[in-house]
Amino acid sequence: MPDPLIALSIATGLLGLTAVLFWPERGLWARWQHARHLNERVQSEDALKHIYKCEMKGRRPTLESIAGVIHASLDNTAELLSAMETNKFVSTLDGDIHLTPAGREAALHIIRAHRLWEHYLAEETGFEEAEWHGRAERLEHALTPEQVDELASQLGNPIYDPHGDPIPTASGQLISHGGQPLTKLPLGTPGRIVHLEDEPAIVYAQLVAEGLYPGMPVRIIEISSERVRFWANGDEHLLAPMLAANISVVAEPVTAEQETEEPLSPDSDTLNRLPIGAYAEVLGIANKCRGAERRRFMDLGILPGTKIKAEMRSPSGDPTAYIIRDALIALRQEQASLIRIRKPQAEAQR
Amino acid sequence: MTTDNLTSNDILKTAESLRWQIGREFHDRLMEDIYTDAARLADRAVTRPDEKPRFDLDRAIDRIVTSRTWGFPMMILLFTLVFWLTITGANYPSQFLASILIDTMVPILHNLANAIGLPWWISGLLIDGMYLATAWVVSVMLPPMAIFFPLFTLLEDFGYLPRVAFNLDNIFHKSGAHGKQALSMMMGFGCNAAGVVATRVIDSPRERLIAIITNNFALCNGRWPTQILIATVFIGGLVPAYLAGIISALAVVGIAVLGVLLSFVVSWSLSRTVLRGEVSTFSLELPPYRPPQVLRTIYTSLIDRTIYVLWRAVMFALPAGAAIWLIANITIGGTSLAEYLINFLNPLGILIGLNGVILLAYVVAIPANEIVIPTVLMLTVLMTGVNGGAGAGVMFNAQSTSDYMSLFTAGGWTLLTAVNLMLFSLIHNPCSTTIYTIYKETGSKKWTAVAALLPLAMGFIITFFVAQIWRLFAG
Repeated sequence: MPDPLIALSIATGLLGLTAVLFWPERGLWARWQHARHLNERVQSEDALKHIYKCEMKGRRPTLESIAGVIHASLDNTAELLSAMETNKFVSTLDGDIHLTPAGREAALHIIRAHRLWEHYLAEETGFEEAEWHGRAERLEHALTPEQVDELASQLGNPIYDPHGDPIPTASGQLISHGGQPLTKLPLGTPGRIVHLEDEPAIVYAQLVAEGLYPGMPVRIIEISSERVRFWANGDEHLLAPMLAANISVVAEPVTAEQETEEPLSPDSDTLNRLPIGAYAEVLGIANKCRGAERRRFMDLGILPGTKIKAEMRSPSGDPTAYIIRDALIALRQEQASLIRIRKPQAEAQR
Repeated sequence: MTTDNLTSNDILKTAESLRWQIGREFHDRLMEDIYTDAARLADRAVTRPDEKPRFDLDRAIDRIVTSRTWGFPMMILLFTLVFWLTITGANYPSQFLASILIDTMVPILHNLANAIGLPWWISGLLIDGMYLATAWVVSVMLPPMAIFFPLFTLLEDFGYLPRVAFNLDNIFHKSGAHGKQALSMMMGFGCNAAGVVATRVIDSPRERLIAIITNNFALCNGRWPTQILIATVFIGGLVPAYLAGIISALAVVGIAVLGVLLSFVVSWSLSRTVLRGEVSTFSLELPPYRPPQVLRTIYTSLIDRTIYVLWRAVMFALPAGAAIWLIANITIGGTSLAEYLINFLNPLGILIGLNGVILLAYVVAIPANEIVIPTVLMLTVLMTGVNGGAGAGVMFNAQSTSDYMSLFTAGGWTLLTAVNLMLFSLIHNPCSTTIYTIYKETGSKKWTAVAALLPLAMGFIITFFVAQIWRLFAG
């Protein structure tokens, strides 16, 4: 029989080693998988994407900015750029870095793959919003144009990705989302979020944590150099202007969209705040709710105009049972918060 | 007309530019409009009594069973009652079945075999091996299932079980699972294979997989007898006689509770690692209460659950019985195959606080947990040569606690062996019936492998650490 101390330390060591090797996301295996992607092709594709985005925004891409995006030293970046120039993807003839038509096409393919994959993750999987971008960032390099086309037709040729960015068509057409930064929206004008910038990831995670998503109605309350205070979907939000500038909005146009995502009105609320015993009428399901979950809601008959009564709450506090079309259905708090209702007071007045 | 000059290319181009104008999420919008239209039509066509409140009795019952004060106590009381009825109620029919199928039938079959002049190895393989294992599984398994499943189905039929899921959902939600997992887990206490089938009520793919993989941590009916026996013999023996009953019962309950805790822990880590990307939705319908249809319920639960599970168990017990008899009776150079295997497994067994006999019993008892103890006893007798067995390859149960104790002592068992056997019995691979059911339900080799190997690996790790730490402090 081995000495228990020795046996224990060997086993603990082995377990620790396994953990170091295979820990999800941070283990050596995961890192190695990740690093494998950082080869030259990936770097050049990331550089193309960056230059394209700069051109779209009217900024000037520089060697430094490219090096920052592809996590490489300036020397290596310069080497990469000259290789790309040899391949006729970029031209630096007039001192600035430009995309050639071939480079633009390649960049659009990458962007298309990225945004389609984000759409796929949002619709068909259970990954959290904050993870979509990172996963798409890795997969965009692995998809061939044929695979991307197949993916697009499987998803029903979507037009926008879940962040509100337009997805380029196979022939390379692209329009802009047409929004302006939230900070430029005049005080009191109702607007609608059309786009959340998903880079840098930390900023995006904060916007997601605030519960913001494309399609949400907003109205600015206060704006100063320190903070932006605004209403969104019945909640007051407070953000630093740096963060707020990553939100693009349009001044509320009168479109068909208003039918489902009603403009901000004082008596709209979300279902999770309906007190037990009260009735309310459904205004719509938040745009954030997608894929299987949204279809489930519709299957249950949660549609604009449906009357819902909050019936009882679980003794452990979370799911609440609602009477929906004569059936008693329990929904969790986070789900009920996706269903917008007209406030119960309005119900009483009628 | 200009349209005559339009080429298909022009049309495609126009379509491409128009598609940017149809707005965001138009698929969703279209679908929502279709649904809304359908609902509007239905509302217009169907007349219903104006604003009729939900049936009052339903409401009254719901107020009680989901109330903050009474919800949980009632639940615990009801399930304790179900388990108590199952365990005590199954005792007598089990003994009765065992006395008929084993004590009476085995001698009769042997006489018959002698009368028609079957060679000893054929009658041994058929009667002492295959028949005995099957009879064992049937007599241990059938009575509790025939009581548990109908009781459970009655509660389900009445409409109470969805309320249990409603009450408990918050805890399951925190571990990334679905409230209805409470139901499949309860069912798992009867039989894991039936528990795996019961996960069909969970309609979200991710939560259903979690429920399937963790169902094994619900201590099934085939493992209760092992737990109760070991707890009575070893744990009960530690304390004065008047406390023995309660302490050993507490030990068994402790193991069952540990199983529930483990299933939460495993659910939590699965939902955050390998199952992270699976689709997850939640909705829980609370159907109206209705008087249970007792006869139909008993009939369907017997046919659908009891007979179904029993049939599969029998199909797996037959080869297991043959294997047990064969390894004990095939000898190479005067030593039986079983001895070779036990000596081979012994170092590993000792390392995790068990021994080779127990490990071999768990290997041959993969088809049915019910035959672990009889196999352990048979193999112990084979290895030690103490008096008490019924012959090589013939499984048996001892008569009294002291008989068990003397056999186990002869096999070199200590308190550590007992504790680790209880742990390993809870945390090891599911039986082959369950594994097969998991494969049928998931249709995936990968998830079946995870469900089978994850608990096995956990069992080895946990028993190993218990054994080493025990030895460190107990010398």
